[in-house]
Amino acid sequence: MNKQIKILSGAVIAVALAVGLYFLNTKWIVPATAQRVNAAAKHPPAPAFDLTDINGAKLSLADYKGKVVLLDFWATWCGPCRVEIPSFVQMQQKYAGQGFSVIGVAMQDSPDSVNKFYQEFHLNYPVAMGSSAVSSLYGGVFGLPTSFVIGRDGLIYSEHTGTTSPEVFEKEIQQLLAEKPGSDDGSFMPAGPEQDIDLGTPGEANADVPGVDVSKLSPVELAAFEKQLDQAKCTCGGCKYSLLQCRRDDSTCPVSRKAAKEMLEKLRSDKSQASNKT
Amino acid sequence: MQSFRTLDRTRILPLACGLAAGLLLAARPLGAQAAPVVSGRMVLATDGAHAGSTVKAALVAEVTAGYHVNDHVPSLDYLIPTELKLEAALPLAPGSAVYPKGTARKFAFLDTPISVYEGKLVVGTQIQVAANARPGSYTLKGTLNYQACNDHACLPPTSLPLTLTVKVVPRSVGLKNVNPDVFRGIKSN
Repeated sequence: MNKQIKILSGAVIAVALAVGLYFLNTKWIVPATAQRVNAAAKHPPAPAFDLTDINGAKLSLADYKGKVVLLDFWATWCGPCRVEIPSFVQMQQKYAGQGFSVIGVAMQDSPDSVNKFYQEFHLNYPVAMGSSAVSSLYGGVFGLPTSFVIGRDGLIYSEHTGTTSPEVFEKEIQQLLAEKPGSDDGSFMPAGPEQDIDLGTPGEANADVPGVDVSKLSPVELAAFEKQLDQAKCTCGGCKYSLLQCRRDDSTCPVSRKAAKEMLEKLRSDKSQASNKT
Repeated sequence: MQSFRTLDRTRILPLACGLAAGLLLAARPLGAQAAPVVSGRMVLATDGAHAGSTVKAALVAEVTAGYHVNDHVPSLDYLIPTELKLEAALPLAPGSAVYPKGTARKFAFLDTPISVYEGKLVVGTQIQVAANARPGSYTLKGTLNYQACNDHACLPPTSLPLTLTVKVVPRSVGLKNVNPDVFRGIKSN
């Protein structure tokens, strides 16, 4: 009898352990792993590079592991790049103590020009001369400036091409600095779009409605289109801009670009239907 | 993050390889774009040239809407000038180029307007034909060097390759003016 009780007890304990392990696995281990897999899939790893900075020191991205990095591809001949630099200097000053650094990679530039600029604008972060090999690691650099925001875990959280507001960078940096190394990164919401940002086709790169090809509109049609965009609200989240303002102030915003393109398409389709009727 | 790597390294490796491959597939090389920002060609003012003469030539280019290239004499010292460069090739010798005055434009990234070329761009020059040139067709090669930007970003400096063929004819053969519209607006050196 005693033996039977022992066997039964053992079986109950074994079943309880199995059930416990099953729940532990399904409720904790698997979701935790899946969440991290998703985070890693969403945010690609920042490719490692080794360069020499303009002061002759080794500049290796691997040395920044555990820090939040703003990797800026820029050039001294690029006006939109130069305008961003003072805010990068400020951010470096403000957040370096929290584990943040800007890294500048000068593209298609001369060391003399970069050195001169470095002194003149009191750059307080490492800058190295780049190469097509380095830019290729980052998927090629289509236009300058192009900046990547890299988390403490070495993953790329956002990519910005073209002049980007310092507030956008700062918001992302603050968010990533708040993440402790080894913590979950699932809550990251990029302040700007994180990938697939481009200048658009040459026809889409215009001052009137950036990102939308308005080259085939007559001046009257363009004015009507702009009015329509100005009357529509941008739904990108809390900016309170009209679609037109959003396009002009943040040309990298994919929400306003898509909406403006759809609006233009509708305008074209209405025009085509009207001409068919006549 | 870090703990994930220790949780299951065997899964990370294929995932990382997949991500790297994806990134490579999506890669756009430096300066790659759908179409060059500037297109153009060289033209002559006459349908041929005589040995020992000088013939007017011009670059007729178009800067894609929404983009600009810098004036040949840039407004700021760090801007890369637009420059026509033609290589001498006997019996042809190019003269200096005559650039148009740029348009003053204000951009979001600068407080002051800068002089740029937008839309149609015509750069004049002259080609000296050597006195001993024999009748025949001769080709000059060159480039238009430029660096383009739009209101928010810049593209790397690049060159538009150019060729110009000059047909040298005997003095007994008359020359006809061609491309008058192009040459009307060019100031001579």
